[in-house]
Amino acid sequence: MRLLPPIPDRLKPAPKRPGTAAPQKPLELVQEAGISAVDWIDERTSLSGGLRWLLFRKVPKGTNWFYTLGSATLFAFLSQAVTGVFLAMYYRPDVAGGAYESVRYITNYAFLGEFVRGMHKWGSSVMVILVFLHMARTFFFGAYKYPRELNWVIGVTLLILTMVMSFTGYLLPFDQRAYWATIVGVNINGTGPLIGPYLSDFLRAGPEFGATTLSRFYAIHMLLVPGLIAALVGAHLYLVAKLGTTAPPWLKAEHKEPELEAKAKA
Amino acid sequence: MPDERKPKKSPYTADRNMPGAFEGETVTRRRFMTATVHGAGAVAASAFALPALAFALGPVFTRQKFDWQLVGNVTDFPTDTYIPRVVAIVAGIGEAGKSTVYMRRRNPAFDKDKPDQYNRIIAISTRCMHLGCPVRYVEAAERFICPCHGGVYDFTGQRTGGPPVRPLDRFYTEIRNGNEVWVGPRYSVNSELHRFSPRDPGEDTDGIGQYLYPARFSTPKK
Amino acid sequence: MNQAEKEQYLREYNILKSQGKPFFPYAVAKDSIMAVFVLVVIIVLSIILGAELGPKADPTTTTYVPRPEWYFFFLFEVLRVVKPPALTPFATIGVPTIAMILLFLLPFYDRSPERRPERRPIATTAGILTIAAMAYLTFLGASAGSPNQVDLKAPKDLHGTALAQFNAGKLVVGQSGCLACHKIGENGNDGPGPELTHVARDVPQNAIAQTLRNPTAPMPSFKRLATQQPQKFKALVFFLGQLK
Repeated sequence: MRLLPPIPDRLKPAPKRPGTAAPQKPLELVQEAGISAVDWIDERTSLSGGLRWLLFRKVPKGTNWFYTLGSATLFAFLSQAVTGVFLAMYYRPDVAGGAYESVRYITNYAFLGEFVRGMHKWGSSVMVILVFLHMARTFFFGAYKYPRELNWVIGVTLLILTMVMSFTGYLLPFDQRAYWATIVGVNINGTGPLIGPYLSDFLRAGPEFGATTLSRFYAIHMLLVPGLIAALVGAHLYLVAKLGTTAPPWLKAEHKEPELEAKAKA
Repeated sequence: MPDERKPKKSPYTADRNMPGAFEGETVTRRRFMTATVHGAGAVAASAFALPALAFALGPVFTRQKFDWQLVGNVTDFPTDTYIPRVVAIVAGIGEAGKSTVYMRRRNPAFDKDKPDQYNRIIAISTRCMHLGCPVRYVEAAERFICPCHGGVYDFTGQRTGGPPVRPLDRFYTEIRNGNEVWVGPRYSVNSELHRFSPRDPGEDTDGIGQYLYPARFSTPKK
Repeated sequence: MNQAEKEQYLREYNILKSQGKPFFPYAVAKDSIMAVFVLVVIIVLSIILGAELGPKADPTTTTYVPRPEWYFFFLFEVLRVVKPPALTPFATIGVPTIAMILLFLLPFYDRSPERRPERRPIATTAGILTIAAMAYLTFLGASAGSPNQVDLKAPKDLHGTALAQFNAGKLVVGQSGCLACHKIGENGNDGPGPELTHVARDVPQNAIAQTLRNPTAPMPSFKRLATQQPQKFKALVFFLGQLK
């Protein structure tokens, strides 16, 4: 286990000294139970190695607040996922009036409805801003360069998927703004030469905005794209942990410390 | 890089002293099993992926039906201005399937296209041919004006300004039983008012555009 | 980046990393504070601005003025400013596709080992210009008004009936669709018609009325308005006569 980062001292269990009594106090018993439960899981999954690798790896010197933008984006995505699941409990993707009525019910009558819908609506704006800030940080710090090229490509895919999420989610309240923005968006797809017209037909499920357009957008918005995003975020994070977060570009390694250099080489 | 020190293995199972080998046989048990994994995996994956994909793609290849609709009498429609009529372009979804059509009687002073049974009443769609925003007929200016990206069309629906790529779409109309005006499906036109099967907005019908944006399988026929 | 530069980078990075601190809890602490901040922002936005629900979708409307969500304003503005129809597919599909391909392939055409923003003048300038252009387009898109409405302050020396006449004319300009082809101040489209912001500087009021009755094509004639609703026509001419 030489490759794994060391466990901090305070997490290392102290060996039992001879003559120490078995735990008696309730707190000690609870602690003991917790440790044995974790041990039971670890014995069967060996998760602790992975967790050590993920949590106790070192981040370079000089890591600053700019480096929190990625995790903030992930957090905004999680917030969207949770509020989205609960909105789905009330929403009906019914084009003949049900969709608008269900959103009206959420907004005006459901307990905390407007608040949760507001969180989902504004959360999407916040997530888009954070994605762009995260990308700008990566760009200006040159963090997309060797060896992190693949992570940049995954990140751009995630940016596009985020835009797809905001586009497909936009239709769902089925108010005027939603409807016409979707018409324009689908027609933008249609201007692609040769395959554009068929792509529009696929998105709308027919030659005009029809009975199943809304449910198609709903399925893309809440099943297809979130699944893709979750999978790609997993890959993105794996690469971040494996390659390490970049150091701020203006930091130079001090070559005068030979023992550190030797340690790094080892 | 192949390791040159290793002697090359013969492709024949018999040469490699495999038990039960046939003369001329080249497929080893290992190769057979590998092929089975790939083959069975591909069959299993396509068994759910292909029907699902076809299911999702179905509407692209299903031709929609269109019901002609009675919208009024010939005398309801003026010759020098438009009046709006609401037509259901997708049946069965209520308000969401309707669209407004601007209609007037044919007027030889403006309409230079070839007269036939379908254009004795002119019915102009309210979808902007840039990206599909709702255009409005402004009587004072005798123009159709799009509120989105600045498209402007003249009295006959020809583009006079802004980014739209073709004249406003029209609907087939027929006069039945003497004076009933019926509206049929939408069709697209090019700048010379030649008819095309209905295209989406943003798709050019002149020059190379008519080949870049082919007809679709799903649009209703008249 | 050649092999030596790659090795050099990895060596330096490993040194910097070994001088760093463990991800947990040092980096995670910053991340959690940021997460709390993000959630507070979302909740505050939700409480203050709520979740507005507009009127129900109506495909038969001819008066609605569609506008996208703010983060698509820059795209909306691109579609608005690219006027020639031949360039329309370029604005809708071409520009976004090219931008996305450039973004995707960034690490493959920018292969220099340099990472400091101030030593990568081209990349840094391009990045800043992109952000500035998007911000400017977003601003323009956000301030794009409806073509059926003129947003213009009356001159200060107008009072009483003249002011009423001015406002009536402003309304007629909006209703008549003048802004579809003409620009008046911050309103309307720049072309195909000439800008009218200062039309009265060069053209006297009766000449404006004359032009409205007998314009040169493709401008439509307002003769019918003049005969059928002379009040409206007078207001229209008066309003245009004040644009100095």
